[in-house]
Amino acid sequence: MTSSSSSAGAASRSARGRGARRKAPRPALVALLFLLPALIALVVLRLAPAVVALVDSLFRTTLLGGTRFTGLSNYVDLFGNPDFRNTLGVTLLFAVIINPVQVGLAFLLAVLFTKRAAGSRIWRSLVILPIAVPPAVSAVMWSVIYRPDGLANGFLAVFGVPPQPFLTSPYQSLLSIIILLSWIGVGYWMMFLIAGINDVPSSYYEAASLDGASAWRQLWSITLPLLRRPLAFVLVADTVSNFLVFAPVQILTKGGPNGSTNLLMFDIYTRAYSFGDINKAQAGVVILVLITVVIVAIQFRLLRAED
Amino acid sequence: MKRAAAITAGAVIAVLALAGCSGSSGAGATTGAASGKVRFLGPEDPKTFAPVIAAFEKSHPKITVTYSQVPFDQYSSTLQQRLSAKDSTIDVYAVDQPNLAQIAAQGFLVDLSDLKDKAKAATSAAQYDINIYQDKMYALSIWNSTQMLFYNKDILDKAGVAVPSVDPSKRWTWEQIEDAGKKAQAAGIPSGLLLEQVEAYYQLQPLVESLGGGSGISGKDMLTADVTTDAWKKAMDWYGSTFASGFSPRGVGGFQTSAVFTDQKTAFFVGGPWDVGNFAANAKFAWGVAPHPYFEGGKPVTPTGSWSWGINTASKNQAAAKEFLEFAALDAAGNLATTEATTIIPANTKAAAEYLPKLEKTGGASTRGVADLITYEIDKTAVARPVSVGYVQFESLINKAFADIRNGAPAGERLAQAQQQIKDAWSSLK
Repeated sequence: MTSSSSSAGAASRSARGRGARRKAPRPALVALLFLLPALIALVVLRLAPAVVALVDSLFRTTLLGGTRFTGLSNYVDLFGNPDFRNTLGVTLLFAVIINPVQVGLAFLLAVLFTKRAAGSRIWRSLVILPIAVPPAVSAVMWSVIYRPDGLANGFLAVFGVPPQPFLTSPYQSLLSIIILLSWIGVGYWMMFLIAGINDVPSSYYEAASLDGASAWRQLWSITLPLLRRPLAFVLVADTVSNFLVFAPVQILTKGGPNGSTNLLMFDIYTRAYSFGDINKAQAGVVILVLITVVIVAIQFRLLRAED
Repeated sequence: MKRAAAITAGAVIAVLALAGCSGSSGAGATTGAASGKVRFLGPEDPKTFAPVIAAFEKSHPKITVTYSQVPFDQYSSTLQQRLSAKDSTIDVYAVDQPNLAQIAAQGFLVDLSDLKDKAKAATSAAQYDINIYQDKMYALSIWNSTQMLFYNKDILDKAGVAVPSVDPSKRWTWEQIEDAGKKAQAAGIPSGLLLEQVEAYYQLQPLVESLGGGSGISGKDMLTADVTTDAWKKAMDWYGSTFASGFSPRGVGGFQTSAVFTDQKTAFFVGGPWDVGNFAANAKFAWGVAPHPYFEGGKPVTPTGSWSWGINTASKNQAAAKEFLEFAALDAAGNLATTEATTIIPANTKAAAEYLPKLEKTGGASTRGVADLITYEIDKTAVARPVSVGYVQFESLINKAFADIRNGAPAGERLAQAQQQIKDAWSSLK
């Protein structure tokens, strides 16, 4: 059925194409004109900076010595630098923890808040609310929460837990940043999943209930498979956004203690604007883009394999 | 918008200045040959410089000054971009003193060496030296700063500890602070000591210098990191231990530190003259001021430094720019006018002598003797941050090391790591 209708569509398109062959260039030109602003934006805002980053990363400009071509030496220096290798390790560890946690929580909350329950809309709004707070402001708020005499330790004290160092401990700082980012991010990603769940026809659940499927079974066999597209989007978009985390690190930890929160984006910023080493920073940008592209490609491939 | 406001403010001031001149029939004019427009760039609010611009235009009717503000966070990068583009719309600009060497090395500052003698006479030795890069003078100091010890008198009384004297000859050591602070903690205050900029080189350099450890930068070209000496380790071991023992609080930083003192959560606080006004307004207890402490057996050292102003090499009106700069830095009245709308110490010695008694009055009994104390520190114990083209990288990396040591990293290892990091960062300069 699908194949015959699509081939019929193709036939009618080609028939129209033959009939309008003499006038063909004009619509193409018009289309191009309409597309031009988007294309210009794409070139100026996306492709050109990428090319500039790549080219810059092959040069070295020094304050006292001028600019010269150095090939891949910036990359060699970066990979030879223990601080940069630590940054890569921290960034990957961060990505491996934060993405499943955020997507998992967003999914659970989405399922929870689409159930008909008293006040679920209010709860949903409360979870979404942190998105309205600018990241920098959230970071400042959490810096107060994480203070030794702050809200977090006050909360733990209620349960008899001794005061925790949070941002001042190399073992807890990354986790503290992950909690803060999830507080912001989970509600946002949840919205996409709620939209996806609301698109699932309720008749599926009714039929499953009649067949005696448990709520758990319905979640596993109906909600999850039908939610794969929004889930794929959320996973990919969340991964990319988590590779670009900057403000909380800059405001809360400056990459410390002992480099434990020195995420790649912050490292690039430090190299470019604190050290004035724009070339190594651009090499860092190229590495960040490559890592992101590879991971997103793997995610797409895995999701396609499930198809 | 701010620029427009600044221009409007400038225009209003110009009109007022002209009115003033016509009234006094130009009697106060000490104008040189220069004329025209001077465009001045800085990070402060336009209101801050309105008084000095008004005063200058009154005495130099042929020159008008327009001020534009770039907020501090973007100041250094914006300045770099505009100076690199040979932007001739900047004539005079504010220079963050530790960045002077880098800007001068790039050729963005006019050589002012012909004013060396006048500059030397006008300001303190440390404030004169800070503007010198490779034997040439590139800027004139406008403002200055220092640090002092603030103490909570109520809690020290409660702990039965005699308060420190404001007299520099009776300066306390860090060991005394530790002793008294611990007694205050026993009397009920959560912390003994907190330094205002807990993880900043500006604040911690005196600890190392007090033990004779130097600035951390050495060598003829000032591009050799030197932060692993015994004095560095000893000073930083001590600093780390104050946090490990709970004598100083971890996890409080940035703009939250002075509130720890006003909230009565620390017995001692090391801060700047700007805290005098802050505490006078916000501290609801008896407090006092004493000299910045030093290590037993070491020498007293205090931080110093603030902003200088220089002239852009791409400026097309350098003669007028120079007159404005001389007025603001070398003329006592002009320099005093730069502090009229803000609380900061004028770099000009004569201006400071007029300014400091006013500052002392703001704190009442709490700040008695502070004017003499500041004058003494600036003259006798001030050690400026090092002049090096690699200062920016140095400061960024050493501040991270300070933060880690504060949070428990072993000082010796962390300083060795910082030494290597600074060396790596500087390799991209040469």
